[in-house]
Amino acid sequence: MGHLTRFFRRLLNVIRSGRDEASLDRELASHLLLLEDEYRHRGLTADEARRSARLALGGVEQAKELHRDAGSFVWFDDMRRDLRRAGRLLRRSPVFTLTATLSLAIGIGATTTISTVVNALLFQPPAGVVESRRLVDIGSSRMRSGFGPSSYPNYFDARQRSTTLDGVYAYSRFPRAMSLGGVGSDVGSESVFASLVTVNYFTVLGVVPAAGRLLSTADGEQPWASPIAVLSHRFWARRFNKDPTIVGRTVTLNGHPFIVVGVASEGFHGTGVRALDLWVPMNMAAAVTSPGTTALTDRAAGWLLIGGRLKPGISVSQAAAEMDVIGRTLEGEYPEQNRGVGFRAMALSPVPGNGGPIVAFVTLLTAIVSCVLIVACANVAGMLLARAAARRQEMALRLAIGAGRARLVRQLLTETVLLFVLGGTAGLLVARVMTSLLVSRLPTLPFPVDLSLSLDARVIAFAAAVSLVAALASGLAPALHASKANVLPGLRNDAGLVGRLRLRHVFVISQVALSIVLIVGSGLFMRALQRAASIDPGFDSHDVELASVDLAQAGYTTTTGPRFARALIDRVRALPGVQSATIANTLPGGFEVRRESLGVPGVRPPDGGFFIVDWNVVAPGYFATLRTPLAAGRDFTIADRDGTQLVAIVSESAAHHFWPGQDAVGKYLLQPTWGPHGPTDPTRPLLVIGVARDVQFSSLVDGLARTAVYVPLDQQYVSSLTIVARTTSGQRITDELRALLASMSPNVPIMTAQTLQDSIALGLTPQRVVASVSGGLGIVGLILAGIGIYGVTAYAVTRRTREIGIRIALGARRADIIRMVMREGLSLTLIGSAVGLMLAAAVSRVVAAFLFGISPIDPVTFTATTALFAAIGLAACYVPVRRATHIDPTEALRYE
Amino acid sequence: MSSSGESAPRVDLLPGTLDLIVLRTLTTMGPQHAYGIAARIEQIAERPSRLNQGTLYPALVRLEQRGWIKGTWRMTESNREARYYAITKAGTRALAEQIDRWQRSARLVNRLLTSEAE
Repeated sequence: MGHLTRFFRRLLNVIRSGRDEASLDRELASHLLLLEDEYRHRGLTADEARRSARLALGGVEQAKELHRDAGSFVWFDDMRRDLRRAGRLLRRSPVFTLTATLSLAIGIGATTTISTVVNALLFQPPAGVVESRRLVDIGSSRMRSGFGPSSYPNYFDARQRSTTLDGVYAYSRFPRAMSLGGVGSDVGSESVFASLVTVNYFTVLGVVPAAGRLLSTADGEQPWASPIAVLSHRFWARRFNKDPTIVGRTVTLNGHPFIVVGVASEGFHGTGVRALDLWVPMNMAAAVTSPGTTALTDRAAGWLLIGGRLKPGISVSQAAAEMDVIGRTLEGEYPEQNRGVGFRAMALSPVPGNGGPIVAFVTLLTAIVSCVLIVACANVAGMLLARAAARRQEMALRLAIGAGRARLVRQLLTETVLLFVLGGTAGLLVARVMTSLLVSRLPTLPFPVDLSLSLDARVIAFAAAVSLVAALASGLAPALHASKANVLPGLRNDAGLVGRLRLRHVFVISQVALSIVLIVGSGLFMRALQRAASIDPGFDSHDVELASVDLAQAGYTTTTGPRFARALIDRVRALPGVQSATIANTLPGGFEVRRESLGVPGVRPPDGGFFIVDWNVVAPGYFATLRTPLAAGRDFTIADRDGTQLVAIVSESAAHHFWPGQDAVGKYLLQPTWGPHGPTDPTRPLLVIGVARDVQFSSLVDGLARTAVYVPLDQQYVSSLTIVARTTSGQRITDELRALLASMSPNVPIMTAQTLQDSIALGLTPQRVVASVSGGLGIVGLILAGIGIYGVTAYAVTRRTREIGIRIALGARRADIIRMVMREGLSLTLIGSAVGLMLAAAVSRVVAAFLFGISPIDPVTFTATTALFAAIGLAACYVPVRRATHIDPTEALRYE
Repeated sequence: MSSSGESAPRVDLLPGTLDLIVLRTLTTMGPQHAYGIAARIEQIAERPSRLNQGTLYPALVRLEQRGWIKGTWRMTESNREARYYAITKAGTRALAEQIDRWQRSARLVNRLLTSEAE
């Protein structure tokens, strides 16, 4: 029998030792009876027989003891004893237990909550996918960095040339909003999110259908080869109530007929975090996307993310090396379109490339919660240390009667572990509440997201590990400290000889320091939010209703689209309650900014290429509707149409940047023509006709006004548009807009409808979340630090009661006593604050990008935080000081 | 916890031999209860003497945990219930090993003792 089996059998014995012992009792009793029988047989009386039998068996208790020794681990029994004792001790000091459990619950709960988010965003394997560990994401790099989309021809070549991958698929990086029509008796259309995928997509991922079939290579890759669609299970359930007859039916997508061939398995939503309604084969790109037919032929147009399955025995780095080579080869073969473009392969992630602001944001949150966890641990460690000091006598006594030191350390550690089990369990509950709170507080995103923020086994294991490590980290030092009790001094209640507890000071200092970091962080983000609210964004966001549509969905072209847009603006303006209305490609304040390259005659940017500017395509009346004043020149008019002089309006920053000290109106910008080979030499001159005030384009990036260029919709048509309507009294007009659109075209669903203020608030979400998380946790840290300072000071007073009594008896003044007691508490606060402020200054530089130009070392925040902590330090010292000054010398001297 | 000195058997046994004895008894006599095993040991001792029968139990528990013997409740001939231990297949194999080891070490000790005596 193996050691392991024996081990488990023993373990079983320990757990069910009650039953086992009963069985042994029974056996021993039967043994005694047999012996008695024998003795009676030999002619002894019943009494004599019984006595002799007992004698022969050699003491029943002894046998049992021996049995237990052989049948269990001594340490396990000890542990059970320790646990029972620890439970009793914790029950005996409920305030300590409650404070410790609560602070641990908050620390562990916060960590678990964030790890849930991290887990969902970065680690959770995608549902419905087979062996996701063998999948890789492949992105395009520019100048050897970044993880961007690739073009279809590049994808095709990568697939043909790869030898390390079993299957290479591609999907559109962003789900496309499409209009779905022709479903049942419904006349109107609705907006759905669809992804364009290669026909091998499902096969490579190993997805199985829940109904019908999925796409397969038999569906062909030639343009227009297969007008078919696959529904997601979620959409099937939500929209069609899991009606199996939907398979085989014809629906329209952006006005084109598609046959629904099947439904993907439940839970499958691609490999990312966005929720999808349906999948369409990539060969139908021309039918459902705006670039149309060039999408599959333009090597310079990146819009696909690539993925592949590693062949058995191939590592991610081998595939990455091969992709790098293929990328370089393609760059050599197509220097014009692929200049600086390469391939990068990485392990599959819900956020391909694992890069970007999401990871930075999550890292920031993780750092914050780690701070809280450390503060909580330091707090508990401090409390344990104080308890250990108080229990020196007990420890010394136990050492004196022969307990092993290791045994004492173990018992103290058991107490700590029990405490952390309590804290961890409470922490999981806290995490549950916090997660659902987080989900409910999330702003409505412009696209649906499928994040499973559940406390799965991985997260629970993580929480358990965190609790255990925290328990050991904060319990070991106090335990070792306590067990070092010397027998003699410990037994003589001589407080003067007890060590100075420097360790505890370290704990308090680190608590203060980390709490300061949290509070400063929160303060900075709150100041940033305040600033975002108070600075003039350059436009008036109140009472503006937005509704985004994509005219390509209804088949409008560059000729018919502008006409429809003009008619739409006129109709919106005529709606009751609408003061002014316009249409624009993007709006300021949100997540996304469109960037374009431009040339300026006579001015060269530092790298000799193009200037990158914030770009917006707008209809006449845009500046009036948003109340952005024009500093010079004129607005676009309906006369600025196709066929007339191309015009542009620039922002003040742009004007200043390109033509410092000159009048921008009348100058020219050069717009590169985008051929199938990327930007070519600038050929289209744009006449600057006006200068608009600067606006805050994107809050996420840096909140700073940048060079912006506006062009008229009639000259530079795009199909993705947002209706902008300023209402007289701020009432919502979504329903009116929806009805109006339905009456004008059956295939133009509203994709998102919100107010401009909501849209801006969405853009400020990261700052808001960080400010509230770090603020809330910072306050918890503050309270914990306060308790820590109080504990140290109060303990010092108790320790020095006699000394203080003597001092008072010898005529020390009240002020002297106060100074003496305060010195300890305040010096801890001071050192902690100094360390914390330095840390905060270092940390805040990292987050400077989120701060809207607030200095990372914002004097207001730093001063206020310092003052706050000075106040906390004073408050924490108040009670101990009071106690010290009220010490009665005669009482104190009789103390021993 | 009691020390081994207190529970020393009144029949002198070399440490580690009790397991061997129990196993051997069970092979020769078939399934036996603890009392039967103890009686057998007492019986074959050179000078008739009493064994502290309680000392059997650690050995029995240990052997059962190793899976070398297996206990089942049965009725004795005198119609009393008792736990009968039987040797298992693993036990038989272990016994062969133990006997071999015992004989080797006994031979060694014997040789040593006789050569010293000369």
